[in-house]
Amino acid sequence: MLSRSLAAALAVLLAFVLAGCGGDDDTASPPATSSAAVETTPAPAEFPVTVEADNGAVTFDEEPDAIVSLSATATESLFAIGAGDQVIAVDDQSNYPADAPVTDLSGFEPNVEAIASYEPDLVIAAYDPGGLVDGLEKLDIPVLLQDAAPDLDVAYEQIETLGEATGNSEGAETVVESMQIEIEELVASVPGVEGATVYHELGPDFFSATSETFIGSVYELFGLVNIADAATEADAGGYPQLTGEYIVSESPDLIVLADTKCCEQTVATVSGRPGWDQIEAVQHGDIVEADDDIASRWGPRTVVFVELIAESLAGIGRP
Amino acid sequence: MADAGGLRARLLARPERALRGVSLGWTAAAGIFVVVAALLGLALGPVDLGVAAVGREVLSHVPFLGVESSFSDTQDAILWELRAPRVALGLLVGAMLASAGASYQGVFRNPLADPYLLGAAAGAGLGATIVIANDLGGDAGLDLRPVAAFAGAMLGVGIAYVLGSSVGGRETATLILAGVTVASFLTALQTYVQQRSADSVQEVYSWILGRLETSGWTDVLIVLPYVAVSAAVLLWHRRLLDVLAVGDDEAASLGVPVARVRLLVVAAATLGTAAAVAFSGLIAFVGIIVPHAVRLMAGTSYRLVLPLSLAFGAGFLVLMDLVSRTVVAPAQLPIGVVTAFLGAPFFAVVLRTTRTVGP
Amino acid sequence: MTALAAERVGVVLDKARVVDGLGFALEEGGWLGLIGPNGAGKTTFLRAVAGLVPYEGSIALAGDEVASLGRRELARRVAVVPQLPVIPPDTSVLEYVVLGRTPHLGYARSPGARDVSAARSALARLDTAQLAERRLGSLSGGERQRAVLARAVAQDAGLLLLDEPTSALDVGAQQQVLELVASLRADHGLTVLSAMHDLTHAGQYADRLLLMDGGREVASGPPREVLTERLVARHYGAEVRIVADEETGIAVVPLRPGVKAQEPVS
Repeated sequence: MLSRSLAAALAVLLAFVLAGCGGDDDTASPPATSSAAVETTPAPAEFPVTVEADNGAVTFDEEPDAIVSLSATATESLFAIGAGDQVIAVDDQSNYPADAPVTDLSGFEPNVEAIASYEPDLVIAAYDPGGLVDGLEKLDIPVLLQDAAPDLDVAYEQIETLGEATGNSEGAETVVESMQIEIEELVASVPGVEGATVYHELGPDFFSATSETFIGSVYELFGLVNIADAATEADAGGYPQLTGEYIVSESPDLIVLADTKCCEQTVATVSGRPGWDQIEAVQHGDIVEADDDIASRWGPRTVVFVELIAESLAGIGRP
Repeated sequence: MADAGGLRARLLARPERALRGVSLGWTAAAGIFVVVAALLGLALGPVDLGVAAVGREVLSHVPFLGVESSFSDTQDAILWELRAPRVALGLLVGAMLASAGASYQGVFRNPLADPYLLGAAAGAGLGATIVIANDLGGDAGLDLRPVAAFAGAMLGVGIAYVLGSSVGGRETATLILAGVTVASFLTALQTYVQQRSADSVQEVYSWILGRLETSGWTDVLIVLPYVAVSAAVLLWHRRLLDVLAVGDDEAASLGVPVARVRLLVVAAATLGTAAAVAFSGLIAFVGIIVPHAVRLMAGTSYRLVLPLSLAFGAGFLVLMDLVSRTVVAPAQLPIGVVTAFLGAPFFAVVLRTTRTVGP
Repeated sequence: MTALAAERVGVVLDKARVVDGLGFALEEGGWLGLIGPNGAGKTTFLRAVAGLVPYEGSIALAGDEVASLGRRELARRVAVVPQLPVIPPDTSVLEYVVLGRTPHLGYARSPGARDVSAARSALARLDTAQLAERRLGSLSGGERQRAVLARAVAQDAGLLLLDEPTSALDVGAQQQVLELVASLRADHGLTVLSAMHDLTHAGQYADRLLLMDGGREVASGPPREVLTERLVARHYGAEVRIVADEETGIAVVPLRPGVKAQEPVS
């Protein structure tokens, strides 16, 4: 009986580790576009429009005004680009912005019938468990699957796609442009940090994120070296579990805690871990407490995260 | 009868080797195994400290030898504050799980019995999951997982025991059935609680699959007294486990208070196991693999199986932990996965070597 | 000296009265054979004497009520040879016989040299010394039964309870085991209470028989009084001829139904 639990746990662990942190391994990502140039996809002012998502091409005959979002990231993006008043329901994890219409719908264990009862004309999801997409398609409900973006370029594309699909292309353009500009400025504001090492903590059991992940790609922008990258062969889908001794021995210059809300980790608890007083980041107090949500999504608030990192990097290495 | 006087003298003079405790050979083998495993666990890991350097560091703490260590502060911290407690915890947990498994097998006369059978694992898992999912104690900065896991394990077995006793006397088959019932129910509860809280799923699974990552020596010091007491009680009863092998009725007619012995052994084994899994999570198969391997090597009497399981279990888990933290270094595998990998094929071995004799 | 005295003994199992109003007195060194059809309550009564089931009435061992004796004290006085003993296959014969010394050891104590030698002499007594190092799983049925008997002998108890000791044995082994019990009784003054299914053996070895049916005593006394064709026919439903002579003692010979020329079975 226990072995059955273990087998199930293993299978689902692999799936959940990838999704639970807002990530997904099998991103069939469209080719990355250059992030330096501001790219505008020609946006037709009228419908019908066909957009690309991870579940293929989806066509919209008219502007959707009964949108259901099962992705916390998509929710943030929708409201940022001006599609907020077209949204009728968001999932239980979509806690930003505060006025989003939160419901009991679950993005991790979606119930097709419950979703359908809202009579949506567009459903956005970041995760497709148990044939969600198939189920919705059978009911003729258009669905856009936007898996966790592996880097900023894909994140921008997803925002633009949402703009096209909801008739807010201009709003999407604006958001993407401002994100690009702000991030560029933030990165440029801390020159000379290339090569500094960073440890991103997802949980007090030392689960981390490699550069294959979205959050890992943010560190790459600054030229930081992610100590979890050495674990890429472990094929953990970008989220390996490290050991305490490895982290201590690597002595990262910066520690980012993404487990402050879920697991009560703070600068104090981390500094108090036995052996961790040997780490550079601990000695200089370069430990960042990030908001779990912001650190696990790939929407417009990524800028907030980048800002947080830039601020920490500005004072790095000094006691 | 021919030479009755001489026969008697011979019988009394020669202590019966077969019925003495563990032989010198096996004691040495067990001791060497534990020491080697512990040394390997200290010397190797995802961070390469250098085997010789580790040796020098360890010896530098031995007085009068005059050995100097070449370690930096960081290396010192890694060895003594991270690796050594981990090895120590591995020794304690491994010894406990193996001896608890052997004891359960003796008391239930079932080769697949271990404390998980009666609901210790399911109870511990439920306790830990409730804490994790509801974020209990978080505001106060307390880690309530160990306490909850411990309480859950004891409750699980306790309920199984009460249920089994109330239903059909204290026969072993009834108790096992009660245990399976309780375990299934608690597992269902645990899964339900876990699924309700999506963002804690990863943490729950991580706990369930087991790991020996410690928060330093405090964890070890907390676990130690439980394991010590539990192991002492179990070792004390090893002779009685041999007597129980002939069944409840025959053991009772040989003067053994069967129900009381069973309760005492189960309580002690569960107590130690609960403390162990409170910190290590649910590491499966150790309680089955190690005692069976010992039986295959040294014989079936609990006089041997219990103490040898203790020792080999300790070394075994340290080695499993070594594998889990070096095989995909610097990432680590949950140790429960490593032991399960070994456990499944091992069952095939046990199956093939088990012989039964009809009435 | 009465080794075992039973008075109005009753046993209720699962709301059924399995033993009802049994009574007898067995003197030291005597052999009482309990006979009767399956389900008559023989095994249950033996279990009551062994302290394994609660009973009504009185069962006294040398004057002490069984229910009032501690488990270990009872084990020092009564040795049981069950019908289907549990045989751990990998245990050696010697270790198995040493188990019989358990009532004489302290709680959880290990056997000492004295216990081992007691076990060895029990084995020698039963002509089984050469099997001492063998695994139980490798023995034949008869050898195994001798090992179980040796364990009971090692227990050094005054009363031996045997539950159908020959049911799984071939005719040679049957004789061997029963002869051994008889000689133990002769040499050591053991008192024997046995449930037996083979009526001839019961008649040949026991001093007295007690025929049970439906939990009650139907007849008791010396074999020639209890082993009658009528009683056997009525309680076993079998046609037999009783043959009594010097050599065979009381032999109960089954007849094929319909062969008998004389009085019809009632």
